[in-house]
Amino acid sequence: MDAMAISRTALDVEWQRLQVIAQNLANENTTNAGGDGPYRPLRLVSGPDAGFEQLVDANGVQSRPVGVRVVGLEPLADGARRVHDPAHPHADADGFVTYPNLDRAAEMTLLIRTSRAYEANLTAMTIAQQMYMRALDLGRR
Amino acid sequence: MGVVDPVAARLAVPLTLPIGIGPSPAHAAQGVGFAEMLQAGIQAVDHKISNSDVLVRNFTLDGSVPIHQVTAALEDARMAVEVAMQVRARLVETYRDFMAMQI
Repeated sequence: MDAMAISRTALDVEWQRLQVIAQNLANENTTNAGGDGPYRPLRLVSGPDAGFEQLVDANGVQSRPVGVRVVGLEPLADGARRVHDPAHPHADADGFVTYPNLDRAAEMTLLIRTSRAYEANLTAMTIAQQMYMRALDLGRR
Repeated sequence: MGVVDPVAARLAVPLTLPIGIGPSPAHAAQGVGFAEMLQAGIQAVDHKISNSDVLVRNFTLDGSVPIHQVTAALEDARMAVEVAMQVRARLVETYRDFMAMQI
């Protein structure tokens, strides 16, 4: 796998991570997501894009560079935030509404980190492309 | 022995990254002509161009494609065309050299 392909997989992953963060932020006040309780903030889990035998091989140190891929989406085990609001249509018998316990600061931090990772991978891609094009100039007359 | 074990010490085999084509595969030894090789290369370039075309169209139509995929595919196609142009330039140059040869 060449450097540009690796960077491209990382761009895909960070793009999807941004989508997940946006979804978390958008659902900050979702009290009923599909009928089973409040929305649960999600985290995108990514890992090396290698087969199992490749990962087991050589003590987990990969012998060739691989890209990155989305392993899955995991809900955060943060619990819920309960607010007393009897007038709310989703209030329970005690008059409490359950909101997702979204850590806004954590989401923002992750947002910035995602953005930086995206930029870093774009830079790596640009450098790889520059090296490629410079190598093409070899022997040009 | 330092505080941190070097990664290489954990490996049974030294870590080397393969670069290049290595020993020529069996089908190459059986004589694939230069023309076929050239044609395969041109088809690969054409495939990259049409691939970027499809991505641009999808991006403009529904926006389901991330923009970096579109630009990366366009860049890929541009570099492939550039390589093809280099091959062509060297080919033509060699041909001219042969034609100008005094026998």
